[in-house]
Amino acid sequence: MGPDDGALMERVRRGDQAAFAALVGHYQDRLFTVAHRLLGNRADAEDAVQRAFLNCYLKSDHYEPRWQVSTWLYRILTNVCVDELRRRRIVGSAVRPPDEGPTDKPVQHLDFRRALERVPTEARMLLTLRYVDGLSYGELARVRGISINTVKSQLARGKAILRKVLR
Amino acid sequence: MDRLDELLAAHFKVDRAPGKLASRIVERARHAGGKGLELLDEIQITATDRGVCLIRAESLASPSSTKARRLVEQARVELAEYLEGKRTFFSVPVDLSAVAPFQRDVLETARRIPFGEVRSYAWIARQIGHRQAVRAVGTALGRNPVPLLVPCHRVLRSDGGVGGYLFGTRVKDGLLALERSTPVLQGCTTTRIVCRVGCVHGRHMSPENRVIFASVADARSVGYRPCKVCRPLADAMAN
Repeated sequence: MGPDDGALMERVRRGDQAAFAALVGHYQDRLFTVAHRLLGNRADAEDAVQRAFLNCYLKSDHYEPRWQVSTWLYRILTNVCVDELRRRRIVGSAVRPPDEGPTDKPVQHLDFRRALERVPTEARMLLTLRYVDGLSYGELARVRGISINTVKSQLARGKAILRKVLR
Repeated sequence: MDRLDELLAAHFKVDRAPGKLASRIVERARHAGGKGLELLDEIQITATDRGVCLIRAESLASPSSTKARRLVEQARVELAEYLEGKRTFFSVPVDLSAVAPFQRDVLETARRIPFGEVRSYAWIARQIGHRQAVRAVGTALGRNPVPLLVPCHRVLRSDGGVGGYLFGTRVKDGLLALERSTPVLQGCTTTRIVCRVGCVHGRHMSPENRVIFASVADARSVGYRPCKVCRPLADAMAN
């Protein structure tokens, strides 16, 4: 987002609580949406967003001004979500049932959500970031630490799977 | 824009975050004084098929088998939860088979020190039947292959001094402070079950349904039963 983010992060780095609150207020909706779509339920999404912001606060010393704040936050959040998805696989804990989707056409969105579950995690993550916040290929590559060509091929792969399942 | 793009755009439309989320985050940040999670960035973990066998602040060889890699991932997840104050016990197994018998006795004894409590080097020496071997106990703990999982940071000097620690005494102080400020038992007001903090069941408890207990006896006195998964009562009796 805007040029003020860097200044806000600088204040957060100095321990300014008001700046941190402003940062949270500015990004919470988008981060929550990304986490909700990736993890499938609101409770886990809330937890992931809290952990991501807390990591951002505690590790604000590591933030470098040349990074975009949004890219950095999305990177932290997607890592938290990957950890959570991995934890579910390893610990085998009961996963909370998915919530109702964001929908005015429930049946159609239910099909779409099931189709999305067939998409591998990395591609699903890229699709989520691309469509929630319209991140460019370059930004997606920086968020996930992969090359732009990998971003393109993963997105294409994800969409191809969706097309096939929804056909 | 084709039909799939439209569906994606509709599915990923930005939702409003829950009303109190921002205030909860700011509140958590305010109380999060410790920088424990940084420790996790510094350490490397390796495992055998039987359990985690080495944790060090230096690069270690990656485990060769899939099972061992899974144990390393499990250990990372559990350690992250522990350092965030969300876990009071570890379920990942440790493999002490490569350790000499005396050191294994020391480590097994240290492993039984309850979360949030401390013991002295002399206490461990007495427990393993070598009263005079206090310095040897210190050496054995200093070479603990799996710090954190075997909580050698809960062992202090008899004169109250903090003693040494593999990751430095500042980290030892930080871990003890973290444990003092983390509740050990939590109950759920809807299920009336009391769990150790970090139990799988406890993770899904809503904050408004969560109640903290000092002991299993306290929880029982108001009608709660111990969780059958994390078994807080068995843990209390073992100690």
